[in-house]
Amino acid sequence: MLRIDEGSTRHWLLRLLGFAVITFIVVWVPTQMSSSRIGQFTDAFILMIAAMSLNLVLGFTGQISIGHSAFFGIGGYTAAILIKDHGWSPGYTFYAAAVVAFVVGCVVALPALRIRGIYLALVTLAVAVLFPTLVRWKKLAWLTDGSKGMDSVRYEDVPVWPILGELKGREGRAVFMFWLGLIVVVATYLVCRGIVKSRFGRALVAIRDNETAAAVMGVNLTTTKVLVFGVSAALCALGGVLSTLKSGVITPDGQYVTLLGSIVFLLVMIVGGAGTLWGPIIGGLVYVWLDNTTRDIGTSDSGILGALFGWADQSPATLILGLVLVVIMFAAPYGLVGLAKRLGRKVVVIVPRPVGSSTPR
Amino acid sequence: MSLLEVRALSAGYGPVEVLHGIDLDVDHGEMVVILGANGAGKTTTMRAVSGMIGRSGSVTFDGVDITRTNAEKLVGMGIAHVPQGRGTFPDLTVMDNLRVGAYARSGGIAADIDRWFAVFPRLAERRDQRAGSLSGGEQQMLAIARALMSHPKLLLCDEPSLGLAPLITQEVFEVLKKLNADEGLSVLLVEQNANLALKVAQRVYLLETGTVVASGSAAQIASDDAIRKAYLGA
Amino acid sequence: MERFFQYLFDGLSLGSIYALLALGLVVVFRGTGHLNFAQGEMAMICTFVVWQFNDWGVPLVLSIILGMIVGFALGAGVEATIIRGVAKKSQAGVFVVSIALFLGLNSLAAMIWGSLPPEQLPGLFPDEPDDFQRIFGAVWRYEYIGVLAVALVLMGLLFLLFAKTKFGLAMRAVASNPESARLAGIPTGIVLASSWGIAGAMGALSGTLWGGIVGELNAGLMFTVFIYASAAATLGGFDSPGGAVIAGLTIGVGEQFLAGYFPGWIGQEMKLSAALLTIFVVLLVKPSGLFGSTKVERV
Ligand SMILES: Nc1ncnc2c1ncn2[C@@H]1O[C@H](COP(=O)(O)OP(=O)(O)O)[C@@H](O)[C@H]1O
Ligand SMILES: [Mg+2]
Repeated sequence: MLRIDEGSTRHWLLRLLGFAVITFIVVWVPTQMSSSRIGQFTDAFILMIAAMSLNLVLGFTGQISIGHSAFFGIGGYTAAILIKDHGWSPGYTFYAAAVVAFVVGCVVALPALRIRGIYLALVTLAVAVLFPTLVRWKKLAWLTDGSKGMDSVRYEDVPVWPILGELKGREGRAVFMFWLGLIVVVATYLVCRGIVKSRFGRALVAIRDNETAAAVMGVNLTTTKVLVFGVSAALCALGGVLSTLKSGVITPDGQYVTLLGSIVFLLVMIVGGAGTLWGPIIGGLVYVWLDNTTRDIGTSDSGILGALFGWADQSPATLILGLVLVVIMFAAPYGLVGLAKRLGRKVVVIVPRPVGSSTPR
Repeated sequence: MSLLEVRALSAGYGPVEVLHGIDLDVDHGEMVVILGANGAGKTTTMRAVSGMIGRSGSVTFDGVDITRTNAEKLVGMGIAHVPQGRGTFPDLTVMDNLRVGAYARSGGIAADIDRWFAVFPRLAERRDQRAGSLSGGEQQMLAIARALMSHPKLLLCDEPSLGLAPLITQEVFEVLKKLNADEGLSVLLVEQNANLALKVAQRVYLLETGTVVASGSAAQIASDDAIRKAYLGA
Repeated sequence: MERFFQYLFDGLSLGSIYALLALGLVVVFRGTGHLNFAQGEMAMICTFVVWQFNDWGVPLVLSIILGMIVGFALGAGVEATIIRGVAKKSQAGVFVVSIALFLGLNSLAAMIWGSLPPEQLPGLFPDEPDDFQRIFGAVWRYEYIGVLAVALVLMGLLFLLFAKTKFGLAMRAVASNPESARLAGIPTGIVLASSWGIAGAMGALSGTLWGGIVGELNAGLMFTVFIYASAAATLGGFDSPGGAVIAGLTIGVGEQFLAGYFPGWIGQEMKLSAALLTIFVVLLVKPSGLFGSTKVERV
């Protein structure tokens, strides 16, 4: 077992190594892979963003939300409406979507403050159920185009970024969306990291661990909870914008806009590791990989799986996904990051710097 | 042979070992008290004896090895445990609490309820009230009555005086002493109030960070100056 | 006035189905403190099982009883194997597992029965167009009367089980204080598995009643009913069985009134949303439901 002091040269080398690996993957994917694979990574980015936003309220503050699909949808619809009806350039809709979702998030959070535990779960579930029906509602059809949804919401011409060269056609769009997605993921990560490591972040964790004690310590419960919910909603909306720009369409029963979306976000976050900064990122990758792999299994009729499931009327993809999730939860009850930390500790231990000494040795 | 024989008992929570090999006996008709500071492991001892937590070593009850027996089974064999703090079912009525106490047996339940109502008249007055709405003292009496409904040979009683007014504590101890004297009920008692416990118990174990550091008759312990100074605060 | 009674009566019948499923949610929650997201899908699978038995020639009533037995076994088995194992390690894990069950059961039903022609689950009661009775001018269909009667009888039996039997006493004791229940000799494992089993059996019945009204079976059969049932459990208070029944019936009636009297603004499409919004407002005043105790904090 290797022991490394936090902040030592070896620790920095280790970090550098990790950074290099990530950079390599990030450059390798959009240059070497097929555009459908690249698209899958963009899908993973979208889920990461949503799961990271959820992690702020559930993982770090302990407030459950099954309503984040609504904020995701708000993001997507804000982008669609601004681009289609008001001729906005897609890039600016990220800011607008974040602002709209922040306001809605705060409004939802205010009354939800009085409600806790399982009741909060059900109230936020109601928000998730409400959103698509509101979009579909005939009284709002002038804004949302009702149940048929909105299409051709995308970059008409992919903007030229000198570093990427000129990107053309479907492939070019896929590569561009990959980079755009990556930028939003990194931005979201940095925002979450900044929050978690700040005074505000310590207030969040204090609320999660013991609300009464947090209040006694001087944390303003109302402001903190409302703010974090608003920020979380805003970040989730970024995922929604990205998703709409990628597919070009948004409908009231589209992917991640319904209750099912909220559930997927929760799965991604918990499977990755709730309350950890990297959990949603790992969770997003694993979920998209699982989702695509199991779907492929369903389509082939040969081999063991063909023999096992050949009788079935429909693909066993979702069943297998369910089984794998159960297995993961038995093997890694605190998520994959929790498991990795436990296993990693057997190989390498980072010895934390003694409290108070701020200069690295 | 004693009624309860505990040998080299170790137990804890998860990876943390709290008890490090305890020997302890309770004879037929004896009242034994475990004394010790907060966190010494008294509650853990009780929980280990009644099988609520994993344990190693050996526990023999009435000649039967019960080291691997489930907690649920022990009631039927004659061990009743009144846990520390809330031993009642707060959402159930007083009557239902007593009925739950008789879960492991059948027959003569109504007569038994009447009997404990006679011993604890205040419970009788509140028979249809939710246990959660009783006072602390009444809840403790209910918890004891509930345990006695199973016709135990051995009663484990964990800090019955916790949070009770001195007068109420006195009353609870009177009842325990009377049951021990009149009916030969064996009692293993955990107590922080040493002076009170030494008056009712015949034998004493002194527990410190998971090990027995002294034991003897109540009279011996009460007259040992060193022990008095160190543990009994007098 | 005729409309009033029509809405009231339709609402009571539909509400009784919500109440059955909600009661299952409450029984599970009181026992193990979990929200079983797969409750609706378990009911849906059992409804298919009922159809299957019936299709094989087993009389309908017997098929329903068999379906309820399967529901009991499914619920109890899931608790004893998967849920208990994960709950020991992490509460969030239980949430994931119940979602995984939701996905898995849904997929399984589609795999086994997916390509059936739109099958008619025969109703338990006469449902020809003229099988109705006029009371106060409203059309009271025999089918709806039957659904309400069956649901009410089953709920009555369940409350008798809770209140009058030794097993019911054990269930209440475990819900109130699991540790002391064990010390009193109650086999808590069996009791908890049974609460999930009872919830499964009730789900089977509510699915069959609902399937009889809808007629056509598919894997999405119980989704909306599950939302209504969760709403009912929330409104009534998650640890109050009586509350779940009253809230289920109230929601059933309330949505009929809302949809019926405000066809322009609410109508059929918005009635669920309107009901959910109303519940939201109620929760602001009573944060743990109408009849729930305030100590409920677990998820
Ligand atoms: N559920 C638990 N999990 C982990 N540690 C525990 C638990 N209960 C008690 N302990 C630890 O075990 C030790 C003994 O506790 P306990 O037996 O309750 O002491 P006593 O009853 O003598 O006050 C203490 O250090 C306490 O922190
Ligand atoms: Mg103690």
